[in-house]
Amino acid sequence: MTLANKVAAELEEMPPSSAVSLQVGVDFYLDAIRAVVDIYASKRDIEVVYVTATISYQAITDILKALEIDSSKVHFVDCISHTMMSSSLQGSQVLFVESPTMLENIMLKTEYLLRKSGGKEKMVLLDSINSLAIHNSNNVLSEFLHIFVSSLRSKNVNTLILSVMEHTSQELSNMVNLVCDSTIRAREEETP
Amino acid sequence: MVEDEKGRDRCRTGIDSLDNILYGGIPRSNTILLTGSCGTGKTSLALEFLLHGAIEGENSMFVSVTEASEKLLANVIPYDFFDKKLMSSNKLVLIDLPVLYERLGLMKAELSMEEVGLLVSGIMDLVKELKIKRLVVDSITSIGYKLKTQEKIRDFILRLAKGLSTAGCTSILVSEVSTGSQGYSTFMVEEALADGIILMANMERRGDLLRTLQVIKMRGTTHSRAKYVLDLTQVGVLMVPLLKGGGSG
Repeated sequence: MTLANKVAAELEEMPPSSAVSLQVGVDFYLDAIRAVVDIYASKRDIEVVYVTATISYQAITDILKALEIDSSKVHFVDCISHTMMSSSLQGSQVLFVESPTMLENIMLKTEYLLRKSGGKEKMVLLDSINSLAIHNSNNVLSEFLHIFVSSLRSKNVNTLILSVMEHTSQELSNMVNLVCDSTIRAREEETP
Repeated sequence: MVEDEKGRDRCRTGIDSLDNILYGGIPRSNTILLTGSCGTGKTSLALEFLLHGAIEGENSMFVSVTEASEKLLANVIPYDFFDKKLMSSNKLVLIDLPVLYERLGLMKAELSMEEVGLLVSGIMDLVKELKIKRLVVDSITSIGYKLKTQEKIRDFILRLAKGLSTAGCTSILVSEVSTGSQGYSTFMVEEALADGIILMANMERRGDLLRTLQVIKMRGTTHSRAKYVLDLTQVGVLMVPLLKGGGSG
């Protein structure tokens, strides 16, 4: 069993309305996306709202295409393209937030996509807390996580908060742990 | 129809987050001042209030003072819940006030006190005839410029609010204020006479411009006085609390 399959298997155990901290090694980042979007969500017919603050929507969809992952049930909130001054053409699967500092707008766009999506089971993937931490203070980020995760729980939506181990301070890790029910750790040299 | 614990009948706006802020909705028959500078979403929110009312079977009327209703409709957000049948069935009625001015012979630049009464009667006749339960006047500020004096503006609002309350009509008077204005209305009398004040604003924070909403007062109900960030979307107005650690505001 591959590491991605093992992560997906752990996600299967995730109870409804829960929040999970997904801590991955930097070399496992793409496999983690595959584990969540393809092996876990796609197979279970889960609608995913993918909040990307790390790489642009265009780059993510190119990666998914290259990995031959079906992204038809993935909707994106892209908070980085505007900041990079890169192309942010509206598409049916993406909404743009002007800056990763506009945390309220991330919540609003996510709410909108959740309302628009027709699936019974829904999940939000936040990629990543490290990228948001570059642009926001720990105070406001902590407040954001608390409100965001609580709001998603109340709507019976599962939340996955992605962090890259090598870039995560103890303080950031504590902040994520405070709002999450469980943690999945995945890097090449260790089994989750 | 929603009632609070004291039995006060509520008019649900249909905007979930606003109804939550107001603990169920606007106390029925109240007149609310919806105020803010340009581009804050006042017209969209007011129109959504009417649309939800019309969908729920309450006859609703939008009185457009400066913008022709055709232009208004052309620029309106393509709401998922907007159905043109609401207009053909007269559940949602759009009135251009300049047309009413013309019918009533009120085309002059400034109205007298008697003509203020005539204008109120003209609007109230429509409210009664069409059995209107939700009304929006966009904007009371533009009417104010035609009335000129605080006395006449006060008289207009008092008479209109009384008539609407008697008719069981819940109303929103849209007020335009300049950016950075200290008060909630241009002529200062509007805010004192309204049963409630909802303030919409553009808030700049570290170079980001956020749309915000805050209920300043609402007679007849307890309500949140916190500031919320909003988004105007096809599913209607969405709101989340303003993050306190986020700086100014």
